[in-house]
Amino acid sequence: MVTKSSFHFSRYLVLGVAAFALTCARYDAHAQETDGNSLPNEKTPNGTVYDPLDPFDYLGSDELFAGDDKDKSAEQLIREGEDLLQTERLLDGRTKLLKALQKDPEQVDAYTMLAGYYMVHVGHFRLAMKYIKQAEALFLKQHGNPPYSTRKLQQDHSRIIYFISQGRLNLDNYQGSLDALDEFTSNGYYAEWYPGSRAWVLMKLGRLQEAIRVARLGILTEAEPGRTLNMLGILLSMNEQRQEAIEVFRKAIAYEMAQGSEGQPATPLNNVGEVFREMFEDDKAESQFLRATGLKDGCEHVLPTLNVVLLYIEQLKLDAAASAIDGFQQCMAQFPLRNGEEYSALVSLARGRIDLHSGHIDRAIRRFEAALEGTQWFGKIGTNQDDLIAAATLSLGQALARKNSLLESYRPLSWGEWYRIKEEKLSNSFRSWWLLRRARQVLIDNLNDLEDINIRNTDSLLEYPTLGEALSGFSRSAVLRRIEKQRSEDSRPPAQIFYSQYLAESSLGWWDRSEGTTLLDSVIQRARSKYDELLKVQASIYRMKLLDSSSDRYHELAYRVLIANPAALRNHGLKLPVSLDASAASKALRSTLLSGPFEESSNKRAECSVRAASDTDGKHRLVFSCRSVASKNRSAEDNDPNAVVNKLADSIFEEEISNGGNS
Amino acid sequence: MSASSTTLGAYASHERGRWYRTTVLLRMIWAAIFIFCLNVVTPLGSPLWLLVGSACVGIAAASRLARSQLNWRGALLILTFLWLLNWGFFEIASRFLRDAISHSFTLDGLQLQVNAALLALSFTASITWVFWRFKAAITLEAIVLASLAIIIFAGHRDYHFDRPKIINSLAWQLRVDHLTMLLTVGSGLLLASITCIFLASLAERPRVDSRPIARSSKGANWILGVCLTCVLGSILYGVQYALYQHFNSAMLARVSNGVGMNSESGVSPLSFESALGSTNQPAALVRLEGDYASNPFTPMMYLRESSLSSFNGHEMVFSGRAYDTDLPGINPQESFTGKEDAELVQRTPLVQSIYLLADHQNAFGVDYPLSIVQLKNPKPNRFKNTYRVYSSAPGFSLTDLNDLAVGDPRWTEEVQQHYLTPHSDKRYSDLAIKVTENARTPIEKMFAITNFLSRTAIYTLTPNHDVKREEDQVAPFLFGDHRGYCVHFAHAIVYMARALGIPSRIGTGYLTDLSQSKDGHILLLMSDRHAWAEVYVAQYGWIPFDVQPDQVESHADNKVDPKLLEDLMGMLDPGEEILPPDIAKDEAGMTDEPKDWVPKQSLVLSSVGVLVALIILCKVFLVFGWKVFSSPRRKLRWAYLSAASAFDDVGIGRRFGETRSDFAARVPNQALVPLTKLLLQATYSPVSGKNLSPVFSSTDVTAAISKANTVIKAMPWWKRLLGALNPSSVFKLLGGGKW
Repeated sequence: MVTKSSFHFSRYLVLGVAAFALTCARYDAHAQETDGNSLPNEKTPNGTVYDPLDPFDYLGSDELFAGDDKDKSAEQLIREGEDLLQTERLLDGRTKLLKALQKDPEQVDAYTMLAGYYMVHVGHFRLAMKYIKQAEALFLKQHGNPPYSTRKLQQDHSRIIYFISQGRLNLDNYQGSLDALDEFTSNGYYAEWYPGSRAWVLMKLGRLQEAIRVARLGILTEAEPGRTLNMLGILLSMNEQRQEAIEVFRKAIAYEMAQGSEGQPATPLNNVGEVFREMFEDDKAESQFLRATGLKDGCEHVLPTLNVVLLYIEQLKLDAAASAIDGFQQCMAQFPLRNGEEYSALVSLARGRIDLHSGHIDRAIRRFEAALEGTQWFGKIGTNQDDLIAAATLSLGQALARKNSLLESYRPLSWGEWYRIKEEKLSNSFRSWWLLRRARQVLIDNLNDLEDINIRNTDSLLEYPTLGEALSGFSRSAVLRRIEKQRSEDSRPPAQIFYSQYLAESSLGWWDRSEGTTLLDSVIQRARSKYDELLKVQASIYRMKLLDSSSDRYHELAYRVLIANPAALRNHGLKLPVSLDASAASKALRSTLLSGPFEESSNKRAECSVRAASDTDGKHRLVFSCRSVASKNRSAEDNDPNAVVNKLADSIFEEEISNGGNS
Repeated sequence: MSASSTTLGAYASHERGRWYRTTVLLRMIWAAIFIFCLNVVTPLGSPLWLLVGSACVGIAAASRLARSQLNWRGALLILTFLWLLNWGFFEIASRFLRDAISHSFTLDGLQLQVNAALLALSFTASITWVFWRFKAAITLEAIVLASLAIIIFAGHRDYHFDRPKIINSLAWQLRVDHLTMLLTVGSGLLLASITCIFLASLAERPRVDSRPIARSSKGANWILGVCLTCVLGSILYGVQYALYQHFNSAMLARVSNGVGMNSESGVSPLSFESALGSTNQPAALVRLEGDYASNPFTPMMYLRESSLSSFNGHEMVFSGRAYDTDLPGINPQESFTGKEDAELVQRTPLVQSIYLLADHQNAFGVDYPLSIVQLKNPKPNRFKNTYRVYSSAPGFSLTDLNDLAVGDPRWTEEVQQHYLTPHSDKRYSDLAIKVTENARTPIEKMFAITNFLSRTAIYTLTPNHDVKREEDQVAPFLFGDHRGYCVHFAHAIVYMARALGIPSRIGTGYLTDLSQSKDGHILLLMSDRHAWAEVYVAQYGWIPFDVQPDQVESHADNKVDPKLLEDLMGMLDPGEEILPPDIAKDEAGMTDEPKDWVPKQSLVLSSVGVLVALIILCKVFLVFGWKVFSSPRRKLRWAYLSAASAFDDVGIGRRFGETRSDFAARVPNQALVPLTKLLLQATYSPVSGKNLSPVFSSTDVTAAISKANTVIKAMPWWKRLLGALNPSSVFKLLGGGKW
């Protein structure tokens, strides 16, 4: 198991790479002077065609912009390039370094810096790897094999090995990365970043205990305390030593805070939040995530926001969830050149879920499709592409099934629309079946026998309260066995309620109503108020499906769901019991109303009522009101009885949520 | 039953059986192609070999069973039994093997795969059963396949030439335009379908009552076949050509989001009807050679290609070279050196290298170029043209402009009037005055106009205004439903600006989102093509004033594929040239698994080459092969085969049910009689046998075939040429046919 929080650790590594590159480059100010040995420019006889791979030719119009670069030495250009990179003039810096290489293709430092640039700023790891391998080849050609006698050579070589290790890590070649780290130590080199990096690679290789030992050793030697503490915290939390992990993260936060503006406290804050969330201490988790998103270094990364959004969705605080994503996107707007591939798929997934639970299913479907199509840069985040694919495929499958349920109660306005609905339902059914099947396949094939079933696994992007819908497609004995195994490993009481829900849905999927009913009742009773609202709604919905819609229990659950998550009723094709006052309504309106998402009930038991009226000029009016919840009162009017019922249903079952300005 | 009718029946049965096997094989190939394509569209999650294998088993089993006495109830029962067996097996296995398996879901994973295989088997078996049992099934299949093809390839009706995705991938891989690819694939599918239906129609249809199907006793006329194929090919080519011509002109007009490719004086290249043709086809790659931190339009960037400043009474048109002298107006193959306008302030130098991926009529760049030079094309088979632009780019903030005057004091009265020529419709000035009533300066007025349109306009690719080409296209938008796209917005702004005395024009080119760039590399797509309004601000030059509509009904697909961008970057990074090509070849993770497998051109060509070579070899063996045998009996058989196949190729083939003797008598000059006599002798001679001497010698065989060859040689040259090119004898040989 790998935690998503490791993403923040990866930022340390990235920054470490940058800092290390720049430090070493400064050290190299004493680099030996070499004569310029520029490559000849390729030009046609008339001299009008320039080599595109040579952006530094100085003839013709280039003189307009070439400045004095033509007279500068390669070393001077490297120094200028380094300065430009430091001042965030990245393209200018990159061009200077390339110019230096054009003058002298044997400049190891230029290759190394370009490797750092492509690794840190561009994320083009393959190109970075090419540059660093060329740097290594040239270095060995110029200075022979290690050991080296001078400190400068040792430092240059160690830097190259470090970059190779990082490059391989980014290309998911963990064993190669560890081999590079072994080479680093075998040459007698040491650096502060070493314990953290080694622990990280060991964790990636699944050697958790060894990784913890390395990280503890790193802390003893005070090697980059903030980074190593954070690393140790992650490792401990993965090893189920959550209290210890919290203590370690607290130290990391204190250390980072003490660094002032140089510190990165958002990372340990997010990580400690994840640990609290795993411990079902939702309030503490929320506060840590919010603290992280409020910090300068926290607002620009998606994970604290994503974590708090997932928490809010489980609590059905959909408005707050949408606001959190709005805040993140507003923060990202400060970085217009930041490539959206870092977060766009995750944002689409989160927004899609908010839309789904707030009743905007069409929008949700588009978001999930975007999440599946979008590229997500995971880099060194613990989570991987399979997690996203499983989560987005499952959510899309659920959304399509919900859409069909919604269409059941939708009143078509014309025969053409009636036909389109039939067509859409057929297509949705097939797609939904296929996607849920695919999601199940990914869950068991690519995610190691459904390791994500561990509730609130920080590595996972699954929506735990509704995960049972996917599990019910598996054989009952397999689900039972997996949950038994999970329960034996997981003693957290709130997690047991989720497992009960899964077992209930699995039982119902295999036609065991009595077992399912018992389990659902226990989930509804035991689920934590305020925190497990989505789970409670899910259980209530499944319980309602087993009940006669005229029963008291059905009424009770329907109104609870209406208050907690109104969209859920219509999304699952359940009818809302209402007392109907249709004395002033036409016959057509009355029959249309009852074929919509409403069920007629007696005045005594119905909490909500619908008053229907039809004018002589053909206008129909509907007024919906609830006795105990005034905020649910709605009204609609239209000339078409079908349209007025649809409008009223939309106004009741859809929640107005920010959609981020686009769909 | 006589002996001859038995032989005839056996022969007919053999012939029908051969077509039957061919049909089964073809259905298997079709099923494999279908599964492959489906997997490209949506990952099936199961190994392709498993699905294809299951489908083939389904086809073979259903074909076999369809020839038996089994009725449809029995067939259904078999399928049901298979599914029940599958379900029962996994149920029992999950109960008894659960403790023996470490992972809880191992059996479920296996069951998913088995289900997928069973699904493929059931599906193909069902349709194959129906195909064999019901004559109408082939018609139904053809209709379903044609409908499917129409649905899949229907995108072209809306000018989406890049759909489905596989067309896009193939066009990119093979470096042809989407339309050509679409037509080629469509023609290929059509030909394959016709072939399949034709062959299937020849096959024997088993009946439960075993009644034979009446068939023509005439054999295939290959000459007629070749001629018909040629005619069909010609018709197909003609249709394809006509379609290409029809859609090509439409594509060029619409593929560019309303911004036409041509710039002809007095003519508007813009299209008002629809921007549906906007595809995500890559148009160009721009590499910024330096930072452009002072870009006033961040994160967007305008790349100007041309401008429209003349008003012809109903729309803005290109004004020729007399005006808009800030634009180079050259094609991408030319070089240009302009003069820097010393009056302009707050400008920053910006160098861009531009690598065109699609044909362009005009060179484009950021703002106004001081110089354009040609670059050596690093990948001529990928980039159409490459050049570098040295621009003097704006380096100010838009808020700095508020109090500035518009127009250039250096302009003559004529130039001033050119940029101020208003629309004759008074409604534009009325609306402009109303919208800008609270604005003080010309720039504030421009912002008021763009804000008004941003609030009220609805961006749509299909405005569908009912207006003739020579009428004002903007009025239905601005004074009607407010539905339109960039071309409508740009015109509306210019008309209103000119009505207020603000010199303006329309700029055309690309608008790109820099947040999708990587390392200063921007992938421009066809859907990034754009038209916008520009106003001349004193000392600052032509400044874009654009609309960002709050309401978007539909928009073009302009999402950049980061993997493609990375691939293209690799082709032109200077470092890649400096770096040795195999520098990191031993490193893991340096290459991607191709997402959509597309056969390489070389693979296709070499496969075709091998096939042709094989045919030629077989043909050569058919003609001369008899010479290599020393045994007179073998020599005779192959000599007969050689002569009979030669006659067959020129259209004199043995007919269905015809005896060899009758056939030999029918051949001109009875050229095949000696060989046939020898063959019959060898077959029916009492001394025939492995260890017995034949009743003829090799010399007799040589003499007999010489007679046949003499007759063939006497035929007209064109007939012999056609015969030499006709591959049917080879197919007959490989298919085990008899002459």
